[in-house]
Amino acid sequence: MEKILQVKNLELSFNTQGGEVKAIRGVNFDLNKGETLAIVGESGSGKSVTTKSIMRLLPESSAEFKNGEILFGGRDLTKLSDKEMQKIRGKEISMIFQDPMTSLNPTMPIGRQLTEPLLKHQKISKNEAKKVAIDLLRMVGMPKPELRMKQYPHQFSGGQRQRIVIAISLACNPKILIADEPTTALDVTIQAQILELMKDLQKKIDTSIIFITHDLGVVANVADRVAVMYGGKIVEIGTVDEIFYNPQHPYTWGLLSSMPSLDTEDAKLYAIPGTPPDLLDPPKGDAFALRSEYALKIDMEQNPPFFKVSDTHSAATWLLHPDAPQVEPPLTVIERMKKFPGSRYYEGGAV
Amino acid sequence: MAEKLLEIKNLKQYFNIGKANEVRAVDDISFDIYKGETLGLVGESGCGKSTTGRSIIRLYDATDGDVFYEGENVHGKKSKQDLKKFNRKMQMIFQDPYASLNQRMKVMDIIAEGIDIHGLAKNSTERKKMVYDLLETVGLNKEHANRYPHEFSGGQRQRLGIARALAVDPDFIIADEPISALDVSIQAQVVNLLKELQQEKGLTFLFIAHDLSMVKYISDRIGVMYFGKLVELAPAEELYNNPLHPYTQSLLSAIPLPDPNYERNRIRKSYDPAIHKYTEADDVRMREISPGHFVQCSEREFESIKSASVSK
Repeated sequence: MEKILQVKNLELSFNTQGGEVKAIRGVNFDLNKGETLAIVGESGSGKSVTTKSIMRLLPESSAEFKNGEILFGGRDLTKLSDKEMQKIRGKEISMIFQDPMTSLNPTMPIGRQLTEPLLKHQKISKNEAKKVAIDLLRMVGMPKPELRMKQYPHQFSGGQRQRIVIAISLACNPKILIADEPTTALDVTIQAQILELMKDLQKKIDTSIIFITHDLGVVANVADRVAVMYGGKIVEIGTVDEIFYNPQHPYTWGLLSSMPSLDTEDAKLYAIPGTPPDLLDPPKGDAFALRSEYALKIDMEQNPPFFKVSDTHSAATWLLHPDAPQVEPPLTVIERMKKFPGSRYYEGGAV
Repeated sequence: MAEKLLEIKNLKQYFNIGKANEVRAVDDISFDIYKGETLGLVGESGCGKSTTGRSIIRLYDATDGDVFYEGENVHGKKSKQDLKKFNRKMQMIFQDPYASLNQRMKVMDIIAEGIDIHGLAKNSTERKKMVYDLLETVGLNKEHANRYPHEFSGGQRQRLGIARALAVDPDFIIADEPISALDVSIQAQVVNLLKELQQEKGLTFLFIAHDLSMVKYISDRIGVMYFGKLVELAPAEELYNNPLHPYTQSLLSAIPLPDPNYERNRIRKSYDPAIHKYTEADDVRMREISPGHFVQCSEREFESIKSASVSK
């Protein structure tokens, strides 16, 4: 599989008045061509910072690359100048933000916002750009695109605005599309439409997508692979089936158990106790250890390395060390594992 | 049946009345909220669920209809004293944690505003302690009291909003999308917290949301709204197992579940209001299909739903 983006041992800190916030502490992942990689995790886990650092959208006055590289098309994005980065941003890598209200310019008709990246990155005339823009609007399912080109963002609904944002981001056929919680602000019915649209478009233009969300339902719907982030690190990465049906890291267990399914009974919902770690002073060992009932002694002292579960699946937890005691995951997780061939709770049948 | 805390009768909330762009945000809806229950209200944005909440708490003056709180009409003339008394009983947690907190006030003063207005703290030490306790209740800590809202993430801000609502010790809380901005693990904490508070203090909730799996989990009964109308109202379990209105069915089919297998095979139904083929002669209103399960339908539809459920 062709690797389109490689993030290698990335470390990034914010210099704040309170000290150095180690927002990303050694992140490694590859993005394959045409796939959707979902990054899940709580606020502050570093998922947005990771993608913003790929786009180089972080304030240079405070954000500082400490280590590692982001390889895209043979170049290290962390070392590019602003000018070089501007040629990539919006053209080769583009981004959809969470809030379609604030990511569009309220004082500019949407037609101009659509043609802006085209005129900037491609050598085409205004008229041609306009035609492309109309096609883009049609592609994202906007009725009467010719008329709507002259309208302003406030004349569209939330779902329509997100469609426009998607159209803008796809204007230059980017190789990578980063979607940062693109459906969080939308209703379920609209969310379903937008997700279907994104999947359709992905097939058409063969873009790779990095999809950031905290909604595991959405992840199950869109992702080919999933990376779970916690405390500035990836703690588990695997295919969508591996993460949902054979999770290994206690944090992933916690995440999966804390979502009510439609048949969760009245019992108390499982909630991960405590709050995420303070990255001004990250814990010495496993960052999740303090909130985990499965923490071992070594978790407090040493950071767990990645243990391989399969060729595509690995998790950073000492529980996978050959000397670690065998523990019982939460019941809801065991229920999931029963469906996964290869897990020790597998009960037969196909996934 | 439990005691009624609130009765909402034929509530209407129109905007731009008499103009060309008149909006019937809430169009003649009636329901009751019982003491100690959680009533969930779901629907798409623009369906009027937030407006309903806001009209109940009198943030808007209702166009028509009545809201009775323990038999007392919420709308209509009130002295300042009466309003104050009433405001302490009913609180709201807002949807947008960015817009609902005053950027120029410190967290301490934001949360203590209600405490000050109602004179709930005897001195500044007590006031401080109350705020610290509230911060801890919502999963923050007391160091946060001296910060400004912009120093918090969206999720943390929403928790400040919850702390503020709890500050005056209300009986009834309208929670307008209180957890949409929170992380999954924190959502569970907050939902558990809301449930605990409900049991401890006998709180009643109107829980407005679009996250249907969470709504089902927290609510005793659920109302589904569509274009300003209530189209279905039923006990939570019943609504999910046996949705009768086609809009409810479409809404349920759109929920993504954390199960890749289910997601691959999910079939989404879409809803087209034209399928009802209502004529002017049809008397479309809420009808009770089975005890506690109401659906908006015409006489003709009522008969067919009835006969379908009998044959089951």
